Amino acid sequence: MSEQRTPLLQVHDLSVRFGGLTAVDGVSASFYPGELVGIIGPNGAGKTTLFNAISGVQLPSSGRLSVQGRRLTGRSPHRFAALGVARTFQTPRVFADMPVAANIEFGLKFAGRRRRKYLFWGDEVGVPWALRDAPSILSLIGLLPQAGLPAGDITPSQQRLLEIGMALATRPKLLLLDEVAAGLTDAEVEDMARLIRRLRDELDVTVIWIEHAVATLLQHVERVIVLHQGRMLADDSPHNVVRNPEVIEAYLGDEMVRPDEQAQEQDLAVIS
Amino acid sequence: MSATAWLELIASGLITGGIYALIALGLNLQYGLMRILNIAHGEFLMLGAYLTWLAHTQLALSPLVMVPLSFAAMMVLGVAIHFLCFRRLTATSPNLDVFEARGLMVAFGLMFLVQNLVSWQWGGDLRGYDYLTEPVKLGEAQFAANKLLVLGLALLFSGALIVLMRQTLLGKGVRALMQSPVGAQLMGIDTKTLHPLIFGIGLGLSGVAGALLSMAYTITPYMGQPYTVTALIVITLGGFGSMGGALIGGLMLGVIEAFGMHFTNPSLKALLSYAVFIAVLILRPEGLLTRKTRKA
Amino acid sequence: MSSRQLLIRDLLVLLAFAGWALALPAYASDFVTAMALTCLMYVALSSSWGLFCGSTRYLSLATSAFFGVGAYTTALLLADLGWVQTIALGAGLAMLVALVMGAAVLHLRGTYFAVLTFGMTELIMHAVTYFEKKVTGTVGRVLTVVPDNHVIYLTVLALAVLAVVVSIVVRRTRFGLALMGIGADEQRAQTLGVNTRLVKIAGFALTAGFAGAVGAAMAVRWTYIDPHTVFNPFIGFQTVLITLIGGVMTLWGPLLAAIIFSVLAESLRLQFPQIYLMSLGLLLILSVLYLPGGLASLRWETFKAWWYDTRDWAKDLKREITGQKERDKQRLKRREKESYFV
Repeated sequence: MSEQRTPLLQVHDLSVRFGGLTAVDGVSASFYPGELVGIIGPNGAGKTTLFNAISGVQLPSSGRLSVQGRRLTGRSPHRFAALGVARTFQTPRVFADMPVAANIEFGLKFAGRRRRKYLFWGDEVGVPWALRDAPSILSLIGLLPQAGLPAGDITPSQQRLLEIGMALATRPKLLLLDEVAAGLTDAEVEDMARLIRRLRDELDVTVIWIEHAVATLLQHVERVIVLHQGRMLADDSPHNVVRNPEVIEAYLGDEMVRPDEQAQEQDLAVIS
Repeated sequence: MSATAWLELIASGLITGGIYALIALGLNLQYGLMRILNIAHGEFLMLGAYLTWLAHTQLALSPLVMVPLSFAAMMVLGVAIHFLCFRRLTATSPNLDVFEARGLMVAFGLMFLVQNLVSWQWGGDLRGYDYLTEPVKLGEAQFAANKLLVLGLALLFSGALIVLMRQTLLGKGVRALMQSPVGAQLMGIDTKTLHPLIFGIGLGLSGVAGALLSMAYTITPYMGQPYTVTALIVITLGGFGSMGGALIGGLMLGVIEAFGMHFTNPSLKALLSYAVFIAVLILRPEGLLTRKTRKA
Repeated sequence: MSSRQLLIRDLLVLLAFAGWALALPAYASDFVTAMALTCLMYVALSSSWGLFCGSTRYLSLATSAFFGVGAYTTALLLADLGWVQTIALGAGLAMLVALVMGAAVLHLRGTYFAVLTFGMTELIMHAVTYFEKKVTGTVGRVLTVVPDNHVIYLTVLALAVLAVVVSIVVRRTRFGLALMGIGADEQRAQTLGVNTRLVKIAGFALTAGFAGAVGAAMAVRWTYIDPHTVFNPFIGFQTVLITLIGGVMTLWGPLLAAIIFSVLAESLRLQFPQIYLMSLGLLLILSVLYLPGGLASLRWETFKAWWYDTRDWAKDLKREITGQKERDKQRLKRREKESYFV
């Protein structure tokens, strides 16, 4: 399915160890432009740690990372941001004393600035229309009415949206979303999933999405990575992942396979 | 250098080191448990020294008696200070970093307050008194009796504190709180009473150190600050939060200083201490004597 | 008020202040002028300190080090270079020291940073003392070529105005935003593209430059300088105290506090120096506990809030004393027990 494109992000045998605990254990994967990838796994599987490593926030104990072909293992987070890696934090880390709009403008003014070789025209060429300024980003995520409020005064779910907005403000090529649907109702989760799909489709950005709302995630992504105790159990399409025996045993159980499909397969087994 | 001279050098290092260990232990308790970097710590050492001097010269009380009395007095003062100043900070600070910064600033203010209060009341001149100045001979080596007493009592109090932390329920509660504030509270450990108590104990140790110091050295209102800095150096060497580290670090620093002063230049003492301090903070901030813990 | 209006307002206030300070020596006594000079010195020191340390919450105690470096530059080189060049060189050397110090130390967290900068200041002082004693064989330095008092006054005034102008300007730039981001959540700012290391070093160097320039200018006020005088940590402490009490994140707080403290200092210092320092300490404690934003954040609401707080505390006390609190508690407990059976 993947042509010979340069991967946006390449993770090679990445491990993160904390003293005796191995949080991430030899994970390798490549991510290409335009993908929508989900990462699932039980708690403690190393998902957030993996995100921390690939955004520069956590120093890997071993392994290699390259973004857009550049080796970034061990570099500071702002380098990752400059190369287009943006992330949200599981517990929103917004600038509570600044207004919501200023939080968005932060990313716009730093990693979101595209430096051009020729200083004549403005440096906004090549930026998606929807990310052209703070009001546009705010309306994209649905927080325009709250623009003037201090970020500490909005509700936690709004703060989660703000997190996404702040990440988008850096005009990323790779968007790492960490459990952005946590604590939402089923309907809200579906809305969030659709928003994420939209982001990938309209903004030409690769999205990697960690989520516990597995059912919804599986319906929207094209590729799923399963982590368990730091190791990668599977890296496949949703259809194959739910039938992967290791995955079923470690995390999903067999309820992810729809009952009528299950029955069909059992019938087939009886017949053959 | 003869064996006697070596012994005397090491002993003199241990004597100063014992004092360092005492105040480092107190500072450690306060920072390790409550994240209050009490930069005024040395001022309470100075208060203890002045109290002892006053008691001795005005009331003819033996300094030996003043040692536990200084502890008690400083402890009460510590509880009061915690209640007046630091408790409100815990309630009003939005996060830990802000709390630490504000705690530091309050301690700063305390330093100015206490130092100048004493200077105003009793003047900036050097004070002192004589107590047990006769030399004691151990083998060939000669030591002043009061300095030996200082070392002995310093080790006694340090040891008592460490035993308290290891063996008693109170101590275990404190250590639990240090490792996991939330977890410990969930277990029912009451921080509202424990914090002021431990803060008080920390200051009490400082007072003891001051009382001991007054026996053998002259005192001034400004004597506290260098000891605060030394205490900081010690807990940096030994690792923030580690009791054993503070004890060993204190003794070590005392000996290093003694050797440094003897073999190089006495005026290099301060230079040496600060250089060591900065080097450790930059290169190994978790301390020389702790194991590297996971990045939180 | 729009951002532009605020800017104009700030600049006008600054202009007024500068004008008044400029005219002062013409009609005031020598004593008052000296007081004004100290005030201006602390305005320069606190404004530049607050710009970096206030936004980023990295409390630097290294001001005395930079001040001393500037002072020694003057002591050593004023006879050979001109006045302006010496000041500039003092600032430059201080910035150099800041670059080295910052590179070594700025990756550490707030309290460590404060303690370390203090340690480094002491280290520099002891190093200079040692160097002077061993290598050049002097204890202190005498300044022979000293410019006119008026020149000193104008220089320090210029530095103070410059410090405030820089504060006003930086707050409106990307650099200022980066500083605030570092203070709010450093790692988050990094993930949004801020090169925090560079920004911190630059900010630190900025405070150093001002402190160095001020040190270089003020050195000539003492005809004899030695390391203990110019590297006196009290200069750094007082800067920090003033900025904190005035309002560490604000523009005008440090200036306001500098004025108040210069007046307090000069009036109390000769008679009751300890009382002055004690009141400084007490004021700092009170302001951290009850007015963390500093004097500049005082509003009518603050006074109201204090009034309500005190009233509530008094009410609570009364309840405790009359036993009402205990009765309420018992009643609540009984109610809770009953509700279990519902």
